[in-house]
Amino acid sequence: MKRIANVNSWTVIAGIIILLLFLPNLTIISGIFTPSNENWEHMKEFVLGTYIKNSFILIGFTAILSIIIGLSLAWIIAQYQFPFRQFLKWALILPLSIPPFIGAYTYHGIVNYTGIVQTTLRERFGLELNHVYFDIMNLPGAIFIYTIFLYPYVYTITRIFLSQQSASLIESARVLGKGPWQVFFQIVIPVSRVSIIGGASLVILEVLNDYGVVKYYGIQTFSTAIFQTWFGLGDIETAIKLAASLMGLVIFILMLEKILRGRRQYSYSTTKVRPLPLIQLTGAKAFLATLYGFLILSLGFFIPVIQLVDWLILTFGKIPMDEFLIYVKNSVLVAGISATCIVVFALILGNFGRLVHGKYAKLLPKLTILGYSIPGAVIAVGVVTAFIALDQFLTPLYQLLGESSTLVLSVSLVMLITAYIIRFFAIGYNSIESGYDKIGTNFRDASRLLGVGITKTFFKVDVPMMKGAIISGFIVVFIDILKEIPLTLILRPFNFDTLSTKAFQYASDEKIMEASQASLLIVSISAIAIVIFNKFLDKETK
Amino acid sequence: MKKALFIILAFALVALAACSNDTTSKVNTKETNESKEVNLYTARHYDVDDQLYAKFEEETGIKVNVIKGEADELLERIKREGDATEADLFLTADAGRLYRAKDAGLLQPVSSDVLDEQIPSNFQDKDQMWYGLTKRARVMVYNKETVKPEELSTYEALTDDKWKGRILIRGSENVYNQSLLASFIEINGEEKAKEWAAGLVANFARDPEGGDRDQAKAIAAGIGDVAIMNTYYFGQMLNSEDPEEVKVAEKLGVFFPNQETTGTHVNVSGAGVVKAAKNKENAIKLLEFLSSPESQGTFAEANYEYPVNESVEPSELLKSWGEFKEQDIPLSALGENNAKSILIFNEVGWK
Repeated sequence: MKRIANVNSWTVIAGIIILLLFLPNLTIISGIFTPSNENWEHMKEFVLGTYIKNSFILIGFTAILSIIIGLSLAWIIAQYQFPFRQFLKWALILPLSIPPFIGAYTYHGIVNYTGIVQTTLRERFGLELNHVYFDIMNLPGAIFIYTIFLYPYVYTITRIFLSQQSASLIESARVLGKGPWQVFFQIVIPVSRVSIIGGASLVILEVLNDYGVVKYYGIQTFSTAIFQTWFGLGDIETAIKLAASLMGLVIFILMLEKILRGRRQYSYSTTKVRPLPLIQLTGAKAFLATLYGFLILSLGFFIPVIQLVDWLILTFGKIPMDEFLIYVKNSVLVAGISATCIVVFALILGNFGRLVHGKYAKLLPKLTILGYSIPGAVIAVGVVTAFIALDQFLTPLYQLLGESSTLVLSVSLVMLITAYIIRFFAIGYNSIESGYDKIGTNFRDASRLLGVGITKTFFKVDVPMMKGAIISGFIVVFIDILKEIPLTLILRPFNFDTLSTKAFQYASDEKIMEASQASLLIVSISAIAIVIFNKFLDKETK
Repeated sequence: MKKALFIILAFALVALAACSNDTTSKVNTKETNESKEVNLYTARHYDVDDQLYAKFEEETGIKVNVIKGEADELLERIKREGDATEADLFLTADAGRLYRAKDAGLLQPVSSDVLDEQIPSNFQDKDQMWYGLTKRARVMVYNKETVKPEELSTYEALTDDKWKGRILIRGSENVYNQSLLASFIEINGEEKAKEWAAGLVANFARDPEGGDRDQAKAIAAGIGDVAIMNTYYFGQMLNSEDPEEVKVAEKLGVFFPNQETTGTHVNVSGAGVVKAAKNKENAIKLLEFLSSPESQGTFAEANYEYPVNESVEPSELLKSWGEFKEQDIPLSALGENNAKSILIFNEVGWK
């Protein structure tokens, strides 16, 4: 009897979380069924084809390039010993700390006519090269920006998997006389498929949702279409139709992942995680490995950061700075609270996914990931609507408490944090889910067999085994929220600024130099988080 | 378990409320006379604005609470918040958006002698729902080496074959371009406006990319010869911290088009009092403050915008460009024709 009650409470909590995360999606799904109007026909006739093509090109190339860079780096770091390996191992996550829209502005600043590259060529060497070589504001340029700042998703997930999970397989292959290329293609790629695809789908969703980069570079994608019809034409129905098509695309991608993942399971066979023994590289090979690592790290981190520092020096003292400590506090506070909530919810939902049986019930938690696919502005409107309704519902309670205003929750941080949770749940869930996948169900079953309840097993067995996944989920969500823009702009309470709203404020007024302070602070805080994350992972694997 | 119960309760409430329809009647809080606050939703992000709010607070003791965001999204938020909204004043950098706010029934008429005195009537909404605060002109800048100012005349003339591959302008998602085309729809009619847009696209030096400043830089890089951009961006470039930007700007000349004909396109930053404002009086006070000679002078100096208050002179730089004839159309036309202009942009393939 006790057992049944216990399962039920997990189901109830999980059901509520799913509902909460799913609500804004409902408004969108309902939009598909409204009849189409002339704007929809207009979009279809003139622009939709191009937008879809552009979106697919962006997604496709960014995903492939991120996989190539992320996987190759993960493999080199997981398998070989070479100079600076220890440093590169964590530093290669750093590009994640730069918001893509800041990266886009910064790179444009570097290569445009007044940028350092062309100026130097012009003034030092008297070279006036064709501007076409320096034009970054096009599809290939956007693909470069997304790849170089988002590949760490693939890299991190795959590296952790390779260094912790694949030791026995790879060692066996080595003993059986397979060369490094054979090991790579016959063992590494197949076994790490889940991590690769998990990482790549995060990259894809991030690209689909981004608006800053494509807007600035003048590339028309699906999000452009959504914003144009919604705000430009004031036609929310058509905008919702477009958002729904986007969601369809995302569902397709998620299904693809499930299919590719197939029925294979690779879970711990022992409680002891055994790291892969490293092979020492020497000579040219060691040099090349180091060079490759530093090349990617420079493109994704050092070069943009140096440019930002340069701008910081140029504009230092020109913009008010006294409030910056408050922005730092605000940023860290909302990101911290939201990331904590997401991790807790993800743990509950993930456990629910393991407890229930049946195909559809297992797919349910996956649905919550849809929030990640919807443009932030669309989520924002859904959240505002829900919170105003909630405030109205609670008005009698407010009056009872002597509160004169009818809007309490919707002018508080609660609204913003809820929106973050809906928006970024997918990332945290992805990490937690892969953690659950890794530990499998053997240990839980053993604990249950010994008569321990589900909830107790959860705290005593599952959570401690998943520390790594929990921390990595937290950090990635934390960094993502630090960088977030549209939700923060629209849903924040009065007089509430964060580092990212400050950076955006200057950048959107084409004052990228003035945006450097806030951007660098975002980068620094994220970098600190990454260092902590790495320290923790190191301890875990020792 | 208690904690879990609490969480369940909390979320059940959320879920319930979200499902319940918004038919419950709202109780509006009465405005208290001693209110010492005003709540502002603004789409202007400039530092100078913050300085002015601080000064307003100092002078009147009224605290200005601010949410900064993108115009369209702030509007959507006010719409969703309905009567319960905390917003008192909506401030944005495009007349089209002000029209949209009015059209959606989000603003209320305001009468104030001070405002009438400080803001000329052509920069006020005809129903006094909103007031312009600063002006910006959308002008041409040209390469002084390859283009003589005598060659330039009107926006329309840029569609001539002579300019093939020489014209630079940013993308059509940008609201300043939408308002520009909307003004032509108003002046010349939809057909003519579409012809103009198609003709300009045919003369583009490249697919639109980047912001206004990037168009100016593209001239310096030799990609094109004439760009259309807002005056204050050019002012900012001339006064940039980056010496390279200054060099670029110095290679360029400013030209105010359509002086002999319909006038140069101007747009405004402006604000309107929100219909459900709880601090209406304070909102009006803030409007009066922002259009006062002193504040207008600050706007003009810090941001190279033209003041609407005629008793205030523009900055030295703007004065050096001379006076010019403005388009003579009601600014609300920019909003009325906005959707049409977007459809035209799509049809003629202006990215």
